Amino acid sequence: MRRILIGLIAAVILIALIAAVLWTRTSGRPTQNASGTAVNPNKAIAASAASPPDDGNWTMPSKDYAATRFSALNQVTPANVVGLKVEFTFSTGTTEGFEAPPLVVNNTMYVVSPWPNNVFALDLTKPGAPPKWVYKPNPAAAAKGVACCGPVNRGASYWNGRLYLNLLDGNTVAVDAETGAEVWRTKLADIQKGETITMAPLVAEGKVLVGDSGGEMGVRGWLAALDAASGKLVWKAYSTGPDKDALIGSAYRAPYAQDQGRDLGVKSWPPEYWKIGGGTVWGWVSYDPSSKTIYYGTSNPGPWNQEQRPGDNKWTAGVFARDINTGQARWFYQSTPHDLYDHDDINEILLVDYPVGNGQRIPALIRPSRNGFFYVQDRRNGRVLSAKPYGYINVYKGVDLKTGRLIPVPGMEPVAGKVSRNICPASPGAKDWNPSAFSPVTGLVYIPHLNLCQDMGVKNANYIAGTPFVGADVKMYAGPGGNRGLFTAWDPVAQRKVFEIKEDLPLWSPALATAGGVVFYGTMDGWFKAIDARNGKLLWQFKTGSGIIGQPISYRGPDGRQYIAVPSGVGGWAGAIVSANLDARDPTGALGFNNAMKDLPKRVSAGGMVYVFALPK
Amino acid sequence: MMRRGLCAGVVSAPCLAGCTGIQTTLGGAGADDTSFIRLFATFLVVCLIMYVLVVGGLAAALANRKVLTVESGAHHESSPWLRSALIGWTVLVAIGLTGLTVASFFVDRSAAARAKHPQFHVKVIANQWWWDVIYMTPDVSQIVHTANELHLPVGVEAEVQLQSNDVIHSFWVPNLAGKQDLIPGRTTDIQLLPTKVGLYRGQCAEFCGIQHANMALVVTVESKVDFLRWLAQQRRPAFAPATPLELAGYRYVTSRECSSCHNIAGTPASGQIGPDLTHLASRRTIAAGTMPMSPGNLYGWVADPQSQKPGNKMPTIGLASNDLHAVVAYLERLK
Amino acid sequence: MSSHCRNSLAAMAALALLAGCDRENSDARGKPFGETIPSTSPDTVFPGGQKQVPLDPRLAAYGRNAFAIAQGQQLFGAMNCVGCHSHGGGGMGPALMDAEWRYGGRIDQIAQSISEGRPNGMPAWRGKLTDQQIWQLAAYVQSLSGQAPKDAVGSRAEELSNTPPQTQTKREPVLPSDSAQQ
Repeated sequence: MRRILIGLIAAVILIALIAAVLWTRTSGRPTQNASGTAVNPNKAIAASAASPPDDGNWTMPSKDYAATRFSALNQVTPANVVGLKVEFTFSTGTTEGFEAPPLVVNNTMYVVSPWPNNVFALDLTKPGAPPKWVYKPNPAAAAKGVACCGPVNRGASYWNGRLYLNLLDGNTVAVDAETGAEVWRTKLADIQKGETITMAPLVAEGKVLVGDSGGEMGVRGWLAALDAASGKLVWKAYSTGPDKDALIGSAYRAPYAQDQGRDLGVKSWPPEYWKIGGGTVWGWVSYDPSSKTIYYGTSNPGPWNQEQRPGDNKWTAGVFARDINTGQARWFYQSTPHDLYDHDDINEILLVDYPVGNGQRIPALIRPSRNGFFYVQDRRNGRVLSAKPYGYINVYKGVDLKTGRLIPVPGMEPVAGKVSRNICPASPGAKDWNPSAFSPVTGLVYIPHLNLCQDMGVKNANYIAGTPFVGADVKMYAGPGGNRGLFTAWDPVAQRKVFEIKEDLPLWSPALATAGGVVFYGTMDGWFKAIDARNGKLLWQFKTGSGIIGQPISYRGPDGRQYIAVPSGVGGWAGAIVSANLDARDPTGALGFNNAMKDLPKRVSAGGMVYVFALPK
Repeated sequence: MMRRGLCAGVVSAPCLAGCTGIQTTLGGAGADDTSFIRLFATFLVVCLIMYVLVVGGLAAALANRKVLTVESGAHHESSPWLRSALIGWTVLVAIGLTGLTVASFFVDRSAAARAKHPQFHVKVIANQWWWDVIYMTPDVSQIVHTANELHLPVGVEAEVQLQSNDVIHSFWVPNLAGKQDLIPGRTTDIQLLPTKVGLYRGQCAEFCGIQHANMALVVTVESKVDFLRWLAQQRRPAFAPATPLELAGYRYVTSRECSSCHNIAGTPASGQIGPDLTHLASRRTIAAGTMPMSPGNLYGWVADPQSQKPGNKMPTIGLASNDLHAVVAYLERLK
Repeated sequence: MSSHCRNSLAAMAALALLAGCDRENSDARGKPFGETIPSTSPDTVFPGGQKQVPLDPRLAAYGRNAFAIAQGQQLFGAMNCVGCHSHGGGGMGPALMDAEWRYGGRIDQIAQSISEGRPNGMPAWRGKLTDQQIWQLAAYVQSLSGQAPKDAVGSRAEELSNTPPQTQTKREPVLPSDSAQQ
């Protein structure tokens, strides 16, 4: 009897041991890879060719071609971040919306201001970082009259000894990073037609990639590649019109039937409307050096009044993959066919290697789109692996993964003579231009975004070149819960929210993730916040002089310390009521934001300062 | 007596001129209108008979009236035939009304049955004081946009969707069908099945402002072949200017006041709030029927639209004479 | 003359006087030749002391005229002014319903801003609109800050604009133009 009992107990213990071994083998416990960074086999990791090891500099707004906005510096940790102090500050002298991140290369900090797009080079080796040179390009003041959402600039890119940036009046310039002398200036956009340029150029393979702005002005969208050495145009791919203009040729394979066909950029519009159809490229471009492919999204179609433009309106509100050398399209996926609510698709595209089970990873792209869905797509062909809502949506039912098509809720499309109410997400979407950051350590995407709904009425829009082509009255307000902003940490593999932080004001600033385990972002009333990357606990905050809508960065200073820099200057579309001194009594002002931001003028004023923080020596 | 009769005939004859022509409810050029005319005739005949009977009965009563005096003390007794006459009269009225109701019901139902299967769609958007006409096709790049005129193929059921950009108007082409309102904020519709080839005139039938009277619509009903040819011609972009004068006109139209409101396909003029001018010279009238299309009238219109149609939305620009010549020359090119 | 006759004559005379009201003139044709936008300055500083500038009679003719303000309201939407200025609240362009006027808040100064354009992005509409249309627009723009008499403004918004009707707009003071920034 006793023998049987002992035998049983031994068997149970043996089974338990085996189970424990098996369980630990397949759990999410981190294991170490060669470089020492913790890698969870179930986590997404940044695409390695597009995300080289961090050298302590910050050479482009997205940090790397994979758009991770992740700094591998780990001096600042949740334990010591409370000790961050201001090391120095710098005023640009301009008080428009300040969106551009400072760049740091070779112990020099480059600050790019909104119009008049001045560039300051600060010498970080000297105390107080005095300017080495100032570059004043003098773009035309009239460009401010055709810039829909503030005369902002989203940053410059450093490459091979030069800074490349776009001016509001449609010029792209190359500036010598040592001396501040202009090397070349190329005019790409025409403000007479309503075109401006606000995006940060992506520079890779000797090419400067520039896209236009003006989807609200009835312009035609395009992405152009200039030769980095000479500034000459290499190729230009339009977002509407015949295939030869859109550079869609024999290499093009759409992932879904809805995007495959001849001259769809003409056939999916009423006659002539594609010429004023929008699809501008005013947001972010990502690049995969291993396949020489660039990825970017296009803006909304024009006008906002959808009744004037029946049809799917290709190639607006979707994502293109193109060969960087020739511009030929590889694939296109239209996230929002026949857009109804100004849901552009220009948001940042993060390039990751995505786990699909059995320890396998595929090259993927992940992106929180303006229409409220977090897309995971195979970046080789564009197929959607998943699209889950990361914010509150009541105008779309979901994405049909078989056909790839977005399914709108019937009856909520705005038509003339009727006000459509309670449209969520509002026109700026669940998230607008301000990019998220990805931490390969936690495997999470840190998304600063919005919780806004709106009422919308449309009427016939008139087209006069150089004037707005909109045809809509909009009034925005807080979504469910009453908070206008949200900071969400999203697990792209589990496809769910890990934690979220409710913010009173909309979040219009990008996020910064660091290897030390601290994530940074700023609010529109000026608070620069540091949170714990694992659980979102607020660790430290600092009140800057104006609202924060610009990108925070982290770099290694000449003394080896880790520095965090953030621009502070409210404006942009959400902050226009302050930076442009608008009147809140008209709720439709600023394309609807006046109603949502009535309290902002009392809380913050315009400004233009860079704040740089570090731990004391 | 003869002279008075002759006089009456001469006076009433011109009134009958309204019974024929391009804008008449008795035209019978559309299926709805034909059935309406039949119904109208039925009503007319029935009511005429009843009228004659009533007037006849009244005359008989007057002729046979008896003078009653208080002294005679006659106790008036109703004649026995009066009661049966009354019963007969009631029955006659009941039959007549029932018949009319049934006739009306069947006409309405037959029109509804026809309306179930339209074979093509047109959208008409009314503005003050012109008609925006859009031929809808499933392929959106083949949509045709024109103004103030409607072409329809004979024998084909057309569904016309009606919308308004400002106030309530009413779509009325009497030769084809009845009236249907265009109400801002709603989409209404009317079905037209033209049966006779020809030219007809429609009219806005709901007071819509100062130029309500000058808001006509020219409807051309033609064979299917002619209709498709017209549609293909309308799809082409505008003809390019051919002479230096036309080129000067093209430059003025596409860069000055005209392009703020008007669209001419294939040119930089892409205004969306005025009538489409791409094929202006192929239309029969100017300004929604205000005057017939001719070079002289076009000059008058472009030079001073406010004198021709006071209060309408096109301003009097005050063109210099050489600009006027150039602009009209270019507009004449837009066939 | 009988008292009845006298009363009727008096009533008719009163009506005739009323017809001369500024509010009521509906001049659809305007003066195509000779109607001009005057050359006026938004400035308030003149070397040698304050100049006496006689006010243009068209200021009252347009500013108190219901037809002109109504036409201006339609043009404000049709010519895409709404796209930059919204319904007075501003956006790409400055707010028009407040008290600050960068380039002057009188109707003739507003008309000049519309006709000539202004630095910082206001397009020049001369040649794209007739002078009469520009005056009408200027009259409407001035009415957005409550300057026009309440019997001349429209009593309901034509568009789905969510702003209160102009008959309830408070009259803003017109601050001098040197309150401009940038």
